[in-house]
Amino acid sequence: MGKKNLVMNNPLRVLGIEKKVQESGAGMGLVMARAGLGKTAILVQIALDSMLWGDKVLHVSIGEGIDKTKAWYDDILALMTAEEKSESMQVTVTEIMQKRMIMTFKESNFSQAKLEERLDDLVQQNIYKPVCLIIDGYDFQAGTHAALQEFKEFMVRRGLKMIWFSAVTHRDDERKSAAGIPAPCHEVDDLFDIVMFIAPKDNAIDLKILKCVNCAVNAGTSLTLDPSTMLIQKA
Amino acid sequence: MSVDLSNVRNIGISAHIDSGKTTLTERILFYTDRIHAIHDVRGKDGVGAKMDSMELERERGITIQSAATFCNWKGKDINIIDTPGHVDFTIEVERALRVLDGAVLVLCSVGGVQSQSITVNRQMTRYKVPRIAFINKCDRTGANPERVTAQLREKLGLNAHMVQLPIGLENDLVGVIDLVTMKALYFDGDNGEVVREEEIPAALQERAQEKREELLEAVSMFSDELMEVMLEEGDIDPALIHAAVRKGTLSLELTPVFVGSAYKNKAVQPMLDGVNAYLPCPTDVENVALDLNNEEKEFAVSNDPDDPLIMLAFKLEDGRYGQLTYVRTYQGKLSKGDTVFNSRTGKKVKIGRLCRMHSDEMEDIDFCGSGDIVALFGVDCASGDTFSSGDISCSMSSMHIPEPVISLAIVPVDNKAQINMSKALNRFTKEDPTFKTFVDHETNETIISGMGELHLEVYVERMKREYNAEVQVGAPQVAYREAITARADFNYTHKKQTGGSGQFGRVAGYMEPLEEGEYEFVDAIVGGSIPREFISSCDKGFQKSLVKGALCGSVVTGVRCVINDGAFHAVDSSDVAFQLAAIGAFKEGYMKAKPVIMEPIMKVSVEGPTEFQGSIMGSINQRRGIIIGTMEEGNYTVVEADVPLSEMFGYSTILRSLTQGKAEFTMEFSAFKQVPKMVNDELIKKYQSEKKNA
Repeated sequence: MGKKNLVMNNPLRVLGIEKKVQESGAGMGLVMARAGLGKTAILVQIALDSMLWGDKVLHVSIGEGIDKTKAWYDDILALMTAEEKSESMQVTVTEIMQKRMIMTFKESNFSQAKLEERLDDLVQQNIYKPVCLIIDGYDFQAGTHAALQEFKEFMVRRGLKMIWFSAVTHRDDERKSAAGIPAPCHEVDDLFDIVMFIAPKDNAIDLKILKCVNCAVNAGTSLTLDPSTMLIQKA
Repeated sequence: MSVDLSNVRNIGISAHIDSGKTTLTERILFYTDRIHAIHDVRGKDGVGAKMDSMELERERGITIQSAATFCNWKGKDINIIDTPGHVDFTIEVERALRVLDGAVLVLCSVGGVQSQSITVNRQMTRYKVPRIAFINKCDRTGANPERVTAQLREKLGLNAHMVQLPIGLENDLVGVIDLVTMKALYFDGDNGEVVREEEIPAALQERAQEKREELLEAVSMFSDELMEVMLEEGDIDPALIHAAVRKGTLSLELTPVFVGSAYKNKAVQPMLDGVNAYLPCPTDVENVALDLNNEEKEFAVSNDPDDPLIMLAFKLEDGRYGQLTYVRTYQGKLSKGDTVFNSRTGKKVKIGRLCRMHSDEMEDIDFCGSGDIVALFGVDCASGDTFSSGDISCSMSSMHIPEPVISLAIVPVDNKAQINMSKALNRFTKEDPTFKTFVDHETNETIISGMGELHLEVYVERMKREYNAEVQVGAPQVAYREAITARADFNYTHKKQTGGSGQFGRVAGYMEPLEEGEYEFVDAIVGGSIPREFISSCDKGFQKSLVKGALCGSVVTGVRCVINDGAFHAVDSSDVAFQLAAIGAFKEGYMKAKPVIMEPIMKVSVEGPTEFQGSIMGSINQRRGIIIGTMEEGNYTVVEADVPLSEMFGYSTILRSLTQGKAEFTMEFSAFKQVPKMVNDELIKKYQSEKKNA
């Protein structure tokens, strides 16, 4: 009962792209929005989805502390489980939380090489072997195509299924790729298999699929999110 | 004494161990003329700091009990509670924060924001305590107050801004620049008691201007007037900046940062100015009480000395002259000879003697007003009790008290030690709600339990020193618990006929897990199958069963026992018979209710050089720990994890050898969680074999 409820609430499941995410292997995903619109909330929901599939997630937070990142998970899980406070739900929450590790870096301290070094520490000592990586706060203004390509190769080397990034867009930067992916990711969009875009719409928030290779849903499909919780708005 | 509450400051001084807060307090007392000579924490003169009044504190150089003191700085009455830095004594910190209006968060300019600072900050946030920061030890090699300020922002999430800049650092520290008045301050005289104001050295002018701009930008958010003056590029009155900083601090949205070195007598006085200017007076803070006549509805206390008295006993001490009770008054006033009511017991208490405490010395006073922190003599009460003048019935909200997580068996070496030990334990348990004691009737050992190894170690040491009670100490044991996970029915008849009047009682009902709380008894008997007078006997029987669970002999918690049927005998039923019937019923239902063993899980934070990150994580992993995350900052990494307490014994030695002594850790209780199956089986096996051999 506990797990099922959590699954039903997840945007990836609702969009029907979770299968693709699970089966494709070695793909990169991207969540884009202006500052403060809820990228981390979406990334956390994606991470939770992975954890519910039984996958271990490493959440890399650049520029934020452990407590703040952990609080995102606690808050979103509390909202998702608000309607069911049973003991089995508590057990489910504890179980899935064991599949998450947070790693935080200062902006000036982060690099793909350093991340790989840390990951090696974890894997070699048999401490933790993630299959999904969430990288929140990556600087796309400074990140080149080659640097991101390096991430793709790193995924294959480390046996990762998926890396999800977040990227901040700016209102006054109107550059876009041919596929409609806005700056600052317009020149690296070929590296991503899934790109989602969050934008305010009336009194809600729209989560739009800009790109989804091999997905059942078409580009342009969107979900409406409740701005106060960033969960899917119920009709 | 002043009665104007705007001239009162109730402040705490909290920090990570060894940040120098006791030294800072010592300097404060010196500059406010409360003491006339300075003695250092581990000073060669052997006197020790004033606030470390316990012999053990002076010897170990750490603060164990918080001591209260009073001083006056530039017309403001300041009540100071010096609080311990070690997490095992966290209840002292929490109690202090509950009754204080503001706090000074002391940080080491080299160590920066360490794990205990995070714990203390979390506690301050819980009690909504406005704070200023003092970055101490700027004279030490490697001092970097700007890095520490950045850590206050990043690690603690505080909007921290420096209101001072150091002039020189490490050995070259000579003074500070006040970024509000833009003056350089130097500290002359043998003990830095003479504050000399000068122009800012030319070499630091540009940097000071830059930092001032940063400060103004941050504080202008709290004052439209200041923002206007800044936009007009006019001269800014320092009073305007002070007002904006105060507003930001009181709303918990700004943390002004002071710098200095208490040990080298540098810049303590400007920090005191900061206490006066930026920390709240009692009327600036809203405190709530619970109305006992109105379903415990919360109401704000008035702080008005003319209103009925409300005061909270937050600390007890058993001293040479009997029990000393520290109280904070929230409204009304109290005079010597007044009679007050204890809201918990409903008893009247006459206040014979009223004192202002200055560490272990006291000063008799005739009355105290709203917002004051004073000590009462000879009042029999418990920590956390609320006193009122009797016209209102209320209680201040209860304090958060963590459950003990570790226990030790102690055996007195002789009869004399036995008597002294009882006296000592009686006093300690009254003073410290996190310290508990009981006698294990199976082994006949006295068990003490508390918040950590150091916590218990200190009490054993105090028994020896203060009470001459020599005890043998067993190995530390984890305070496990047992809990049920399913509902189970019981229906038990206790029947005994051995000549004379017999015993008879039948108790039926069910037990089920209780989500919140330790134990609940529900009487659902209809039709008098168990007579009224024996209902409480059933309750007593269940409570006796909770003391020792059947799995590993630990306390059983989180159980609701419901009785809905039973039977009695007109002659043979008695209190004892129904107690025994309830014990039997509990035993019958317990194993069917799928009991489990729970263990205390500690939130562990290990801080060390990044090169050892792998070894640190490995060591946590080997201890059944779950790593929550790692935080990398320059050459340092913090690893946060949840680890079972049973796996943490001796960890400090292992960590030292793994990291060449460069890493340190702190831990605090997080939650009780079910033990894994393997550990569960081991504990049961061990308990069974102990029982067999007993």
